[in-house]
Amino acid sequence: MTRFKDLNPILHSQLRLAVISLLISTEVAEFTYIQEQTGATAGNLSIQITKLKEAGYIEVTKKFRNNYPQTLCRITPLGRQKFTEYVKALKDYLNPDKGDQK
Amino acid sequence: MENTEKMMTGEESLKIITDMINKTKVNIRQGSFHLLFWGWLIFICSLSEYLLYKFTDLSNAWYVWLFVIPGVFVSLIYGFVTGRKEKAHTYAEMLYMWTWIGFMFAAIVLFIVLARSMESIAPFILLLAGIPTFISGFIIKFKPLIVGGITFWILALVAHFAGPSIAPLAVPVAMLTGYLIPGYMLKSKVDHDKV
Repeated sequence: MTRFKDLNPILHSQLRLAVISLLISTEVAEFTYIQEQTGATAGNLSIQITKLKEAGYIEVTKKFRNNYPQTLCRITPLGRQKFTEYVKALKDYLNPDKGDQK
Repeated sequence: MENTEKMMTGEESLKIITDMINKTKVNIRQGSFHLLFWGWLIFICSLSEYLLYKFTDLSNAWYVWLFVIPGVFVSLIYGFVTGRKEKAHTYAEMLYMWTWIGFMFAAIVLFIVLARSMESIAPFILLLAGIPTFISGFIIKFKPLIVGGITFWILALVAHFAGPSIAPLAVPVAMLTGYLIPGYMLKSKVDHDKV
């Protein structure tokens, strides 16, 4: 049975989980797109994206488009794996009986 | 979304995941342009060819199909320019795009293979065109496009088995049922969603 404290602390936070959940079904997403979808402030989002990047869960690329800076984010294979594990652990936590029967 | 370090319940986590994944549905803004553009182009080409054969002495009426070549470039340039403006590319959108590009390559090969017998190309091109139309309908969850794909296959049979007076009309009819009607329905859905 999964205990609440066993949930991956990097993903078990509102904004970081929202970012990873957005990136799981996108090939690549701009910083501004993530900001629009999550409704987060630029500063807070920037901090959380840095934490996900440092954990190796996402890749961040900075480019210029029409002379404007553009920050692109994409999930890494490690991030995908950790997200899958997190969802599984969450399911086990929410349905402990099913987890025990296995 | 607020500062993220506060403790979430399991239910809250699940809700965040569901909400965010739902926000990455396929962007269908581009879809109606391509359906309407190709629907009208092929409708006009196929009907013109039919009318030219029926009412004139022209032996090379199939030349009207050459308009398809600039059409490919218009479609590619529009897709490229619009795609560059998008802030995110979902896997479903990529699947949608590559399904149509795959069809385009297959159609080019078909035109090369059947270059000497263009009069028999209609059933094959309809058979092929039904696949991306049908799949796209499922990707964007839009039933008129799924039905449109099925009508392509029915009309491929009509094009093959019906007599010479009816068969040439299979392509223009397919453009109405497969591209133009679903295209206008999709456009009205997108315009309605914007309001």
